[in-house]
Amino acid sequence: MFDETNTRRVEMVLPNRIGYERIAMECSASFARFWGTGSERVEDLKTAVAEACLNAMEHGNRGRPEAQVVVTLDRVNGAIVVQVKDEGTGIPEIPPDPDIERKIQELEPARGLGLFLIRHLMDQVELNEITEQGHVVRMVIRAENQQPGSGSGRVPAGGTLQRKEQRGNGGRLGNG
Amino acid sequence: MDEQNQISVEKRSGLSILDIQGDVTSASEPFFSEAYNHPDADGSGKILLKFDENAYINSGGIAVLIQLLAETRRKNQKVGITGLSEHFKKIFNMVGISRFADIYASTEEALQAME
Repeated sequence: MFDETNTRRVEMVLPNRIGYERIAMECSASFARFWGTGSERVEDLKTAVAEACLNAMEHGNRGRPEAQVVVTLDRVNGAIVVQVKDEGTGIPEIPPDPDIERKIQELEPARGLGLFLIRHLMDQVELNEITEQGHVVRMVIRAENQQPGSGSGRVPAGGTLQRKEQRGNGGRLGNG
Repeated sequence: MDEQNQISVEKRSGLSILDIQGDVTSASEPFFSEAYNHPDADGSGKILLKFDENAYINSGGIAVLIQLLAETRRKNQKVGITGLSEHFKKIFNMVGISRFADIYASTEEALQAME
């Protein structure tokens, strides 16, 4: 899908411990800034990376302390591509968008917002890629094609979410 | 690694201000609960949640806030929010929090509007 010859990569291996998602957040932010991504989109990226890591730790790895979460950042053809890999078997059913009214009325759990945030903050999200090492969530945030270190690029926040494929291996969600 | 919250409660002009220092995650629940049940907040008709602009707020923290809003709704309390960064204003709008709590640019603006 991506031109690997045009890739710049950073990889992090995180302990399966809540709190370490913040290291992935900050590293992702530095990576995105390095490649010229504007501050608004960097904040979107930080939140999406944190939520993907939390999902990997809590759901994918089921909180097992010996498990790991691997976060890979690539610069590919003007975009930042983040892959978050856990040792689980994927997301069995992609939840519908949360209903805040029902949550406030306590008719559904208050939690369960992570995937919603990821899908609405990233330009493209692919779920349920199963590899030999585990389950991968891939997120793409588009950035202007600038030289590293320029730090001034800005891409407007994503538009209306369009669900391309809802479930099963390779489930793909995107903003266009 | 979660930073502990410190939530101080202050009453000004009939408004209970919960000043939330630190990050807001699922670990924040007992701190929010304690502050909400503080004598200066308990029974108040108007509550202002004042966040730290540099705070890390994740989905677990938003869930804690939703639980608090559920309680305020049951008690018919009016809730305002201030101190959010532009990013978290966007997130709160995206999730729908802003349908249940007005978001203000500053404490002073909230005090005037909620008075």
